[in-house]
Amino acid sequence: MDMWNILEYAAWALSVLFAALMLVDLARVDSTYDNDLLTSSREGEIEATQERHQI
Amino acid sequence: MAYQPPKQGFVAQIVDVVVLLVLTVGALYLPLYLGLAGATKTPNPIENPTWETLNQNVVEQQQWAALGITDPAAANDIVTARFNYDFSWTALIVMAVLVIGYFVMVVRLSDKEYREVIDERFGPKR
Amino acid sequence: MANVTSTAAAPERLQLLRVLGPGHVWALGVGIVLVGEYMGWNFAIGKGGMIAGLVACWVAGLLYTCVAMIDSEVTSTVAAAGGQYAQAKHIVGPLMAFNVGLFLVMAYTMLEAGNAITIGFLLDTVAGMQGHSGLNQQPFIILAVMFLAWLNYRGVLATLTFNFVITAIAFLAIIILFLVVQFGGSNVPLDFSAVAEEPLPYGWVGIIASIHFGLWYYLGIEGTCQAAEEVRSPSRSLPYGTMAGIMTLLIAATLTWYVCSGLIPWEYLGQAGTPLFDAARVTGSTGLMVLLFIGTIFSTLASANGCINDASRAWFSMGRDRYLPIWFGAVHPVYRTPYRSIVFLVPIALIFALGAPLDQVVTFSILSGLLGYTFMSFNMVMFRRKWPLETIKRGYVHPFHPLPAIVLLVLCATAYIAVFLGYGTQLIAMMCFYIVASLWFHFWRYRFVRRGDQFTMPWPRPQGY
Repeated sequence: MDMWNILEYAAWALSVLFAALMLVDLARVDSTYDNDLLTSSREGEIEATQERHQI
Repeated sequence: MAYQPPKQGFVAQIVDVVVLLVLTVGALYLPLYLGLAGATKTPNPIENPTWETLNQNVVEQQQWAALGITDPAAANDIVTARFNYDFSWTALIVMAVLVIGYFVMVVRLSDKEYREVIDERFGPKR
Repeated sequence: MANVTSTAAAPERLQLLRVLGPGHVWALGVGIVLVGEYMGWNFAIGKGGMIAGLVACWVAGLLYTCVAMIDSEVTSTVAAAGGQYAQAKHIVGPLMAFNVGLFLVMAYTMLEAGNAITIGFLLDTVAGMQGHSGLNQQPFIILAVMFLAWLNYRGVLATLTFNFVITAIAFLAIIILFLVVQFGGSNVPLDFSAVAEEPLPYGWVGIIASIHFGLWYYLGIEGTCQAAEEVRSPSRSLPYGTMAGIMTLLIAATLTWYVCSGLIPWEYLGQAGTPLFDAARVTGSTGLMVLLFIGTIFSTLASANGCINDASRAWFSMGRDRYLPIWFGAVHPVYRTPYRSIVFLVPIALIFALGAPLDQVVTFSILSGLLGYTFMSFNMVMFRRKWPLETIKRGYVHPFHPLPAIVLLVLCATAYIAVFLGYGTQLIAMMCFYIVASLWFHFWRYRFVRRGDQFTMPWPRPQGY
């Protein structure tokens, strides 16, 4: 078992860690907030408020 | 009256995503499984290769050495490999028809949908 | 809640966070692309010889200059996440937009998979050099994708600041290699005799064929548009960052061709896995080798990072318009990123990174990009026709219209033939995929889309409609 074997295991462990961080947060957010709020983003808000493109 | 889309159930949403995924994976892996994918170079090794017959000058020989290849025989396959660019005109025409036909189809169907969008957004055409 | 923007019209709205400047736009564009200089472009030399490689470098450079000019004008006017997707929706129509959205997601996800494969391959090489054969590449491929996805999940500012730093280092590495070689720091001198002896081993058809991989020098620069909803001043930052990006790449591409062609026999270069790293090996300098190894790793990470960013924005925008299930159109309440799209695309990227060979994945990516550039050419003409210059204010107006659009279309046609020479089956398979997907969208999926809501820009009615 040399350094590269240890690195392999470390990579597996870190992959699981990052995946878990994302999934746990996703589950937490989805159960805490209302879905209508989460999907409330609309395209074109920037144009509607400040970049009107009028001559 | 503006068009009101039907509500889509949760299961139907998942089915839609799965359909797209199957199409994508299929398009990538099907040519692979059918063994039709990829262009390969074919080496045409020469007999008793030397750096001279392989057409490598003195500087190039130093470069090969720096890359870890000091024996001309080891470079033989790399140096003599060539692509084959013979192609059939039928296949080229099939490709052209597919690409052009695809864009024509998409733009025409889009235009039909686009007119509905504009009418709903700006009111019917005067 | 402090982190929720509220406008007078709507009660509470979550928006993507608007924090980026032109430097981040540059980092996003160049970061995705620069990996093309570290690997891949050199197959152009394999497909056509040294001169063909240089011609391909500049012809593709011209193609992408047109792309950057056209993109800068349209995006400085359509500031929406999804970039070309939102452009297509406003200018050509919904079905085109769906297709463009797919081009973007495919091109970036496949490129991301290609980058992850390369990281695994590099580490395997290094492990091999240290006497450890048979490294299991899977955990490193998965780790690269997971870490970058997590970074993207946590916020766009940190993600692109990280990209800025590693991209700048990778770019400087190319400049330093050029300077050292130019001022005689190399054990082996530059040698361009093959240019005179074997200018075109395949004749003229080799030049056309090599354009296929010539695209690799620049593929992805158009991704700058995806950041439109997150930059502080889209109409200024986007043209500035995109144009600075294409200039950086033209310089880097030419330097790369020069150093590599001079230091490596073209037959070897045409099949090398990591050409710049190999060039550093030929110089015999350990310092340069380490530098270019770091550059290779950084450029691959930067590219995968930018790809996750861009693919998730495109997927998110399509969800927001219900082209895909609305579930994907969600913004994280704290980090303000399209978090569900980011997470969803992770396993997709892994399917391709772990299951398919590199050249397949990359060809799929190149083809999707190419379809997108073809769209841009007629999109530009339609944009000027439906909204002539005097009807709406643009952040940037590109010169010589319609010349760039025409040049772009001609170059795209050439590039299709280039891909066809060798990868015809994939091209046809992919066209079939997009045709089937289009029919599916038109006859099934489009019924869930609200018609008028798709047009979100405060523009007047298009002329002729």
